[in-house]
Amino acid sequence: MACGIRLQEAGKKCVIISSGQSALHFSSGSFDLLNTLPDGTKVANPIEALKELKAQNPKHPYTKIGEEKFAHLAQEAQRLLSDAKIRMVGSYHANHYRLTPFAITKPTWLTMADYVYAEQPDTFAWKNISVVNFTAYLDFHPNFFADKFRRMGMSVRDIEIDLATIANNKNNLSEMRSTNIARLFENEKAFANFVDLLKSKIEKSDAVLLPACLGLEHTDIVETLSNILGVTVKLLPTFPPSVSGICAQHLLKQRFMNLGGTYMLGDTVNKVEFEDNRVTKIYTVNHNDIPLRGEQYVLCSGSFFSQGLLALPNDIIDPICGLDIDYISDRKQWFADNTFDKQNYGSFGIKTDEHFLAIKDQKTIDNLHVCGASLGGFNALKEGCGGGVSLLTALYAAEEILGNKK
Amino acid sequence: MKIEKLMNEYDVIIIGGGATGAGTLRDCSLRGLKAALIERSDIATGATGRNHGLLHSGARYAVTDQESAQECISENQILRHIARHCVDQTDGFFISLPDDDLAFQNKFVESCLKAGIRADVLDPKEALSLEPSMNPSAIGAVRVPDGSIDPFRLTASNIQDAKAHGATVLTYHLVTELLHRQGVITGVRATDMRTGEQTELHAPIVVNACGIWGAHLAQMAGVKISMFPAKGALLIYGHRVNKIVLNRCRKPSDADILVPGDTICLIGTTSTKVPYDEIDNMYVLPEEVEILRKGAQELSPILEKTRILRCYAGVRPLVASDDDPSGRSVSRGIVLFDHEKRDGLKGFVTITGGKLMTYRLMAEKATDLVCEKLHVNKKCETAHIKLPGSREDKETTLKKLYSMPVSIQESMVYRHGDMAEKMSKNNTINNSLVCECEEVSYGEVSYAIDHMDVHNLIDLRRRTRVGMGTCQGEFCACRAIGILAKQKQICPTREKEELIAFLNERWKGVKPIAWGDSLRESQYASWVYESVCGLGDENKNKEQ
Repeated sequence: MACGIRLQEAGKKCVIISSGQSALHFSSGSFDLLNTLPDGTKVANPIEALKELKAQNPKHPYTKIGEEKFAHLAQEAQRLLSDAKIRMVGSYHANHYRLTPFAITKPTWLTMADYVYAEQPDTFAWKNISVVNFTAYLDFHPNFFADKFRRMGMSVRDIEIDLATIANNKNNLSEMRSTNIARLFENEKAFANFVDLLKSKIEKSDAVLLPACLGLEHTDIVETLSNILGVTVKLLPTFPPSVSGICAQHLLKQRFMNLGGTYMLGDTVNKVEFEDNRVTKIYTVNHNDIPLRGEQYVLCSGSFFSQGLLALPNDIIDPICGLDIDYISDRKQWFADNTFDKQNYGSFGIKTDEHFLAIKDQKTIDNLHVCGASLGGFNALKEGCGGGVSLLTALYAAEEILGNKK
Repeated sequence: MKIEKLMNEYDVIIIGGGATGAGTLRDCSLRGLKAALIERSDIATGATGRNHGLLHSGARYAVTDQESAQECISENQILRHIARHCVDQTDGFFISLPDDDLAFQNKFVESCLKAGIRADVLDPKEALSLEPSMNPSAIGAVRVPDGSIDPFRLTASNIQDAKAHGATVLTYHLVTELLHRQGVITGVRATDMRTGEQTELHAPIVVNACGIWGAHLAQMAGVKISMFPAKGALLIYGHRVNKIVLNRCRKPSDADILVPGDTICLIGTTSTKVPYDEIDNMYVLPEEVEILRKGAQELSPILEKTRILRCYAGVRPLVASDDDPSGRSVSRGIVLFDHEKRDGLKGFVTITGGKLMTYRLMAEKATDLVCEKLHVNKKCETAHIKLPGSREDKETTLKKLYSMPVSIQESMVYRHGDMAEKMSKNNTINNSLVCECEEVSYGEVSYAIDHMDVHNLIDLRRRTRVGMGTCQGEFCACRAIGILAKQKQICPTREKEELIAFLNERWKGVKPIAWGDSLRESQYASWVYESVCGLGDENKNKEQ
């Protein structure tokens, strides 16, 4: 999406084919750039850590991007999100700290502005806070947060609100999921009832912390709430689905389409044709025998989860283009026994040259860039760099394409 | 002190919380004995929870072992009556494939009929129309009264009934010593695995119902039982492709039974001798996965394209006959040792061997011996008295839950029979879904935590199927731990440890089959728990 937006901005004509919803639907509310080096060293300033990263892992996508370009692309990414009206805080010079749904403090690059975050680990100015949850909403654990804040010396008021009292929500079993709750708040009357109820309960809190189930369409709803209540209102992350992630995805899509891009959601590429080390055309399920032709192609189909990679019992393949994969052939080395240890399969990905051009049958494909989680050579979970790799390599591909055309 | 001592005095102590131990506890309690059960882990964690869950008709044993076959068909009929809510009356087919000798079918049918097992020869085409998932190239099919049985519910229900009759259950207690007085066993000393606290329990009789672990307990008592652990590996497929149990009509071999159960089906088993010191660490090998996949696809070709959810392995307690210590003559039948007669050790009884199917009969035999020793003259009633959950028919229970959401009604009654009524408070919170894959409600989880000896997430999975569905705990584990923490007042730090333990337990079963959608799911789960939630690296981060 970032690549598409950048290309549209530069006047190119792009189509994005997406077989399903983006991984942003399960987002934490933050994008990580680089939290940890492969050897486990913590990173406070991502840009300063790049030299050491290069020494430790020459195959890392950031190493390929290079230090100079890294800063430029990180800045570009921040600008692009901002232009798409996604309000985020943070900078590529210094990580700040977010809270996870389990109230664990983690470093990160950019965080949705409405979320709780801190410049230094666990430094909050509040003394009296209210932590709100909704009856029967099981994807948010207020006790984790309350416990953490209490241990930091704050006085915490636990507030439970039964949404049945603010709106006539039907007895649907999946009712109490973040997105459904967010939809409820889009209703003016329900929101007004909620504000009244909340007002009566928060007493003298300095801050009211709500599960991140607000702002699916009204992106300023937290600000509105804060103004009405007259106190700071911040969001705490919930278990997926992520309302703010869905909202961000929606805003990016809007931005792309407003710039003239074509977005084909729910279509799947089922055939890619190559000629002379170039992609000539692609076919999709919905368009049957009508091929799509482009001068340049970008593959950002993700890792196993997004089905950009497919594991067979003893092999790893790219099911879309059949590109070469960087992986360990011995299956025994794919996994660690402890699920929380480093899993080698997490670093598998599509082989690319130094400009992220795909490699097929050991030959570079001149008009096919690869970006994001489809790439190998990094471990998003252990290094905390998934968001950054996605955004930066996407913008890298866009700039390469624009540069090539100049 | 005196009161405490009195409280720890029992007529009988049973060690081992598998089906046999739970069944013996229930039988003893029904006969009026003051009984206690001690289990080092949760109930049904050993061989009980690690088999096919096949309600054998006995047909599998008919040709090779008539005695086992007869025991099976008799217990099969009893369990359909007393444990109806744990049983799926699916029937079973024994199919012959082109490679199989059709002559075996005649011998098979003859042996079944001799053992009293109904065995109807079907035209393969008719069989295929009744069970469309079976291999269409089958050249023969015989219908027998097989079924499936849920070992977790069965064990839990026995425990529930025993407790209702005054029994004491101590899970997560490890027996560290058998107490002796003048050559007589007088009780046990046990350590609470969670707190480290030590307890002594006294009784004139201690029953060893530890399955394969019984050899170790016997050693602790100073007597020797020669056991030969045989590992059996199984695969669980993520869909219930067959509605009728599928067996191969040939001499019992590897990977030749496909059993439908709940929302899944499972193929088993393999049989490999393993050293005794490895019984606590069973893992499934790649070659076992291959054997099982091949066998499964022969029975039902669609399984080639069906997602494998996970795999696991159990250990059968095979016991060497006393007159053959070399182990060449190994019994798969029920073994009851009166150690007073066998070894001159008074107060110690071992019940082992057998199979899940015969747990009740094993319990009856053990309890008969206990009663004889205690001079209690009360007959066994477990073959007639229904277990909790099976006491009223499904329709009657469903009527009581009519105002609840239909999917919850059905799955709750399917899992818990008439006990479902107790779990249904029918309000927003209780009807809220914890597990969408298996339709487990808050009410069900909440009841299990309070009334079914649940101490952690893994126990909860065995009682309710939370985390057993296609997502393997991705979403529900997090919800369930919240409820557990609230009701058991667990601190957030332990909550996270519990989740880590649960997710690792799931990963152990997924790792050997982690490809395709299973790896996809695992990567997603890792991403959610590790990256989004930050679980696992807390110690490394020195979280404040």
